[in-house]
Amino acid sequence: MFSLSETPLDPQALVAEVADPHSGACVTFEGWVRNHNDGHTVLRLEYEAYAALAISEGNKIIAEVKEKFGVDHAVCVHRTGLLEITDMAIWIGVTAAHRGEAFAACRYIIDEIKHRTPIWKKEHYVNGDSGWVECEHCAAAAHHHHHDHAPTCTEADYYDRQVRLKDVGEAGQQKLRDTKVLVIGAGGLGCSALQYLAAAGIGKIGICESDVVDASNLHRQTLYGTDLLGNPKGAEAVHRLQHLNPFIKLEHHACRLDKSNITDIVGHYDVLVDCTDNFETKFLLSDVAVLEKKLLIQSSIYQYEGQLFVYDPAADSPCMRCIWPEMPAPNCVGSCAEVGVLGAVPGVFGSLQAMECLKQLLDLPGKLQGETLFFDLLHYSARKVRAHKQPDCHDGLSERVKPILEEAPLEWHWNGTGSPAENGLTLVDIREPEECKADPLNADDFIELPMSSIDFEAVPLDKTKAYLLCCSRGMRSKNLAVKLREQGYTQVYSLTGGADALHP
Amino acid sequence: MASKDITVGYYAVLREARGCSEESVTTECHTPSELYGQLKAEHGFHLAESQLKVVVNEDFSTWDYVIQEGDHLVFIPPVAGG
Repeated sequence: MFSLSETPLDPQALVAEVADPHSGACVTFEGWVRNHNDGHTVLRLEYEAYAALAISEGNKIIAEVKEKFGVDHAVCVHRTGLLEITDMAIWIGVTAAHRGEAFAACRYIIDEIKHRTPIWKKEHYVNGDSGWVECEHCAAAAHHHHHDHAPTCTEADYYDRQVRLKDVGEAGQQKLRDTKVLVIGAGGLGCSALQYLAAAGIGKIGICESDVVDASNLHRQTLYGTDLLGNPKGAEAVHRLQHLNPFIKLEHHACRLDKSNITDIVGHYDVLVDCTDNFETKFLLSDVAVLEKKLLIQSSIYQYEGQLFVYDPAADSPCMRCIWPEMPAPNCVGSCAEVGVLGAVPGVFGSLQAMECLKQLLDLPGKLQGETLFFDLLHYSARKVRAHKQPDCHDGLSERVKPILEEAPLEWHWNGTGSPAENGLTLVDIREPEECKADPLNADDFIELPMSSIDFEAVPLDKTKAYLLCCSRGMRSKNLAVKLREQGYTQVYSLTGGADALHP
Repeated sequence: MASKDITVGYYAVLREARGCSEESVTTECHTPSELYGQLKAEHGFHLAESQLKVVVNEDFSTWDYVIQEGDHLVFIPPVAGG
C-alpha cells in the first residue's frame, strides 16, 4: 500500500500495519531531510506530488515487490508539503518470512519510488534561493504531467529501429516479447549479454546469480558501479536493466544452480544463456538442456579469446558432451581470477551470445548449427569448427547425461514384498566366503562378489544394470555403493540392514 | 618417411605457453597424437593429450587421424572463463 501524507509520519503506528505472525523479518527505511545537498546548505524542503499518478505508480511498485520477493506486507508513505531538517520524508516497512527478501524488497521500493513516482522536491537554501531538484521518475510514468517536460518513450519508440529491419518487423518483435530467457551468471559475459537481450525486448529475462559485487569485477561487469560493492549482483542487475528497459519483465534467482534446483528453474524459460565461469555449471546446463529440450547458448573466454556454442534440441544438434564427454578437471586451465582478462573480451562474447540468441529466435541466416565459433580478439582470427554427435547422445537418451541429474538414493529398503529381482535389481552378496557359509543369503538368485576380491580396475559389473549390494549389516555395502557410484555404476544400491533384512 | 608441411594452431593456455597462435611446422609425425607428444616435450606444455581436443581442417578430429601435407591442426584445451 502506497500513500501520500501532508502530516508528520508516525513510525510506530505504521509498523503495526505490516506486523504479521508469519513474518520473521521486518525491515524499515526512513528518509530524512538533510541540511545539505550538492554543496548547498539546505534550510527546509517542499514536496509536491502529482497525487493520482504517484499513488498509482507507488502501488504498482508495492505489487511488484510482493510478486518479486514474496514478502508478507509492504507499506510506503511519502510526505508532501513543507518539511524541516530532520523531518521524515518517507517511511517504508516490509515484513517477510526471512530477512533476505525483506531487505531486498525495502531497497527495491525506495529506489523505484525515487525513480518512478512523480514527486518533486524544492530545496530552500541558506542564501535565500530555492530550486526544484530533478525528479528521476521514468518516462513510462511521466507522460501526463511534469514540471520539466521530460521526453517520453513508448514501447513502439523504443524498438523502432529494430522493427524496421525486414527480418524483424512487428512479428519478430512479438516473438521476442513472447520469449523467456534465463541468463545464468551476471558477471562479465552476463552483464554484456543481458544489456542487449533486455534492450532487444525479450519479454521475460531471469537472472541466476548468487554472488555479490566485488571491486575486482568492475572493469568487466559494467552493470555495476563502485557504489554497489557488496550488494547482490542479480538484484542490482535487475534494477539497472529495468531502468534501461521498463517494458520487459525481469526476475532474479538468487541461487547457485545445482542438481536440486536446476530443472525447476529452467522449466520457466525457453532459452538458456550460459554466462558462467566454471565447468561444473556449464556441464550441468548442457545436461539439463538436453534433458529438458532447451535452446542453450554457451560461451567461455580465456584472456583475449573465447568461444561460442549453441545446443539446439530442435535441430538435434551435438551437445557439449559430444565434444567433451567428461568434465575437465577444474584446475586444468586458469580462470579469470588466476590468469587475468581484459574487460572488453567478455563484453564482446556476451554481445555475441545476445546476437546468437536473437539470430536463433528470429531465425536469421548464419545461426551456429553444431559448430563452435573460436574467436581470437588479438588477431581477429575466427574459425567455426564442426562437432559431431556421439551415437549415444541424442533426444535426452544419453547414458552419460541422465544419471547426472537424477542421482538415485543410495540405499534400498526391502519392504517385504517382491524380491530384489522383481524390483529389477540383481542381488550381489559382497560378504566374505566364511560369512556366507555361516549365514547363507535368504534369496534364490544372487551373485557372489566378496568385497576383498574386487579389483576396481576391472569390476565384474555392468554399468547399465541395476544391482543391490548386500553385506551382513548394510555398512560395507553402503561404502562400496558410494565407491562404485563414483566410478560410474550409477544404479548400484545398498541393502539397508544387510543380509538380516532378507530374513522374514 | 617423407616430411609434411602443416600449420599448427594453439588456443588459450597452449597459445600462452607456446607464445604464438599459429606456426608452420614440418613434421614426420603420422598422427596428431604423435605430434602433440613431440610438441609437448619440446615446449613443456603441461596439459596431457587426454585433456585436449584436436581440430583438423575445421573439424573436431580423433587423435589417430593420419596427417596429410597441408593440414591445419589446432590443439584446444577446455575453457571455462566468464
